[in-house]
Amino acid sequence: MTELLQQVINGLSLGAIYALIALGYTMVYGVLRFINFAHSDVFMLGAFTAFYSSRALGRWGFAGGGFLGGLLVLVISMAACAVIGVLIERLAYRPLRKRSTLTVLITAIGVSLFLQNGGQMVFGVNPKAFPNIFPSQTFKLGGLVINSNQLVVLGVALALLSALHWIVQRTRIGTAMRAVSFNATAASLVGIDTNRIISFTFGLGSALAGAGGVLYGMNYPSIEPLMGNSPGLKAFIAAVLGGIGSLPGAALGGMVLGFVETGVSGTRWSTYRDAVAFAILIGILLFRPAGLLGRNRIEKV
Amino acid sequence: MPGWLNRSQLVLAAALLAAGVAQFLSNRLDSYVLSVAMGVGINIILASSLNLINGFTGQFSLGHAGFMAVGAYTAAVLTGKLAPQLQPIFGGHVELLFPFALIVGGLVAAVAGGLVGAPSLRLKGDYLAIVTLGFGEIIKVIFQNVEYVGGAKGLNAIPDYSNLFWVFGTTAITVYTVWALMNSTYGRGFLAVADDEIAAEAMGLNTTRYKMVAFVVGAFFAGIAGGLFAHLNNSINPSGFDFNKSIEIVVMVILGGMGRHTGVILAAILLTVLTELLRQFGDYRMVIYSLLLILLMLTRPQGLLIWPIRKSASRRTT
Amino acid sequence: MSASGLQLNRVTIRFGGLTAVSEVSATVRPGELAGLIGPNGAGKTTVFNLITGVYAPTEGTIEFAGRALTGLKPFEITARGIARTFQNIRLFGSLTVFDNVRVAFHLHLQQGPGQSLFRGPSFHREERELSERTRELLEIFKLDRVRNEPARSLPYGDQRRLEIVRALATQPELLLLDEPAAGMNPAEKVELMKLIQFIQERYKLAILLVEHDMKVVMGICQRIHVLEYGRKIAEGTPAQIRENPAVIAAYLGYEPENGPTV
Repeated sequence: MTELLQQVINGLSLGAIYALIALGYTMVYGVLRFINFAHSDVFMLGAFTAFYSSRALGRWGFAGGGFLGGLLVLVISMAACAVIGVLIERLAYRPLRKRSTLTVLITAIGVSLFLQNGGQMVFGVNPKAFPNIFPSQTFKLGGLVINSNQLVVLGVALALLSALHWIVQRTRIGTAMRAVSFNATAASLVGIDTNRIISFTFGLGSALAGAGGVLYGMNYPSIEPLMGNSPGLKAFIAAVLGGIGSLPGAALGGMVLGFVETGVSGTRWSTYRDAVAFAILIGILLFRPAGLLGRNRIEKV
Repeated sequence: MPGWLNRSQLVLAAALLAAGVAQFLSNRLDSYVLSVAMGVGINIILASSLNLINGFTGQFSLGHAGFMAVGAYTAAVLTGKLAPQLQPIFGGHVELLFPFALIVGGLVAAVAGGLVGAPSLRLKGDYLAIVTLGFGEIIKVIFQNVEYVGGAKGLNAIPDYSNLFWVFGTTAITVYTVWALMNSTYGRGFLAVADDEIAAEAMGLNTTRYKMVAFVVGAFFAGIAGGLFAHLNNSINPSGFDFNKSIEIVVMVILGGMGRHTGVILAAILLTVLTELLRQFGDYRMVIYSLLLILLMLTRPQGLLIWPIRKSASRRTT
Repeated sequence: MSASGLQLNRVTIRFGGLTAVSEVSATVRPGELAGLIGPNGAGKTTVFNLITGVYAPTEGTIEFAGRALTGLKPFEITARGIARTFQNIRLFGSLTVFDNVRVAFHLHLQQGPGQSLFRGPSFHREERELSERTRELLEIFKLDRVRNEPARSLPYGDQRRLEIVRALATQPELLLLDEPAAGMNPAEKVELMKLIQFIQERYKLAILLVEHDMKVVMGICQRIHVLEYGRKIAEGTPAQIRENPAVIAAYLGYEPENGPTV
């Protein structure tokens, strides 16, 4: 029983991180109908921004390890990733707006390779220990072991999800985002500047990925330039699982993936972790391509 | 009816002969040049066979490295662990073990292609790309976990059976196969499926069967290329057949202009040589490669080496 | 084809809550030139998609030549002798005009992947024969001079014609034409009417025509079926349809006193 609860807690905090990344995939797919392969590398850049900014803050005498300091690092990382995301869209994807999905997909793969290999040159190939940006403490409740970082992860993820929900449902720009993702041509006909909305979407999605990177670093104490691959893939699967284009779906899919992964890790099949994730992806695509919360489309003849 | 009607087969025979002559003269070549040349041949096989799926039939597969892995492992096991049992079958002709291993590797890869293709080929575009990517990665994970083939460390001390004859002989057969499949009334069906599946179906084409044929034949040659690769490099491991390897092959097809025979062959040559040249940049290699890829997509997404119109086969049907 | 031709028996299809076609029954006899008309969104193209197996009916059955088409895939239905064109032209754009027609002989091919590879004498014989037949078709329909152009580069009218020729190459007994006159000027429409009549006489096949243009439908069809909101509201000769109050109401948009009759 305790073990199960422990798994639930671990699954929740991993799932929350997947959910944050999955949201970026799903939002970009919503407005541009393509899979942004470079998204997982923005996540990696988020972790590295946190790594360097917390160091810099420490050097400037800013008390590292405090709660406010941690929040500041988080905000810096999110802002940096938002800028990077917007830049990537501007430089690499926008010129391809009218081209085939295939072209954009390959470009995205190119951007991803560039960020990973560039990252290896700039940050080095070896894993780096991630600093304690938030005060860390371990509680023991009966047989349960809970790290305060896990609670921070859950709290931050929850706060960001609510903020995103508010932006998308309640603000003007959120309404415009939904309009673009429903029908980009119609949206531009009623005077929505679709390019601006797409930029905003990339910024928003990348900020969430950046936050995901910071939270991931806190829970898995070392970071390296290729760290985005595996979580990126899982988050992408989460987005498809929930129904690509659906925000609640991405959040739900992230949670499911988190639980499945912690579940499988506890068994002797743990080396098949990634294969299980892919099997879920394939199963979903084959049997319910619209995902858990997505809608089916009928092809027009 | 012999004569010019079978000209294509004559070209194939000449290419096979040339591969034999090249092999005969190969001891005069520098071993580095030799291995790059064989790398070129293997990449032509990979790119041409993927071109059948992605280019001519319009299905976007991102799992070609997975089928290559199946062929590589099968062939390496046959010439390695199972060689003592197999050799007696070939009697005095041990040299036949390698082609046998290659073909079996291709067949097993083709079966894998069929197993992957059957459920996935009703998906289109991005979704098909992701599912094939997923299958490719699953194949990799399975090899990582099978101790019989060395797990994550892979197989070592694979005999170096690959030579110019086998590599370029197979290359010639692959190119001929893809070309011959396309240049017939039956084969125009692949292009029709790529252009418009619904219309193709309405014209009585069993589009699912066409896609399966493309997928299985493509996987077969990827498997053979894997076998050649294993016996050129002498060692293989699962991570050598990951998603990045698949991307590399996809890039050759795109660079050559999807669905063009010569363009894709030239692209395979160009990229293999380019990769070798970039080696001198060491760590910068992949950074330059990725930047070139992005620039290419931004400036020439239709391919680097293309001609305005797909050559019509209506003037002559041979 | 047996005497029974094409029969729709109380065919219904629903997409979620929307009933696009409701209990439609109709017959197209062998060799008949029939029309299917109705206002926008009446379900005409959906009926085509049901006949050709793109959609499966929720209820009801469709029979052709005395055999049910239930559960058949589109290509199997084409093999039974039903060919079609599409409202929004669907040619093989990157293929040449010649190849567009050649590929449609698929159902009657002896060759497969094996013969394409080995290219023996019988392969070459078949290829020559098909080239000949393709060229003949292209000549009859005056597309011969553009045979090496990619289909997508043809002018609109030629594309429409090519789509019909391609459908004929499958050697159908029933040809479904989905708005063949769409986007044509009056002179082209007159040409088209002649063409359709010519096809029916020369190839002795039945034709079912979805069309908006009343002149075209009234001018050439022997029998007309009228749909409105997915239901069949009338059937008869052009003269009968012209007088039918339900049809007039459907097209003019008001309710006649006795209401539409099914």
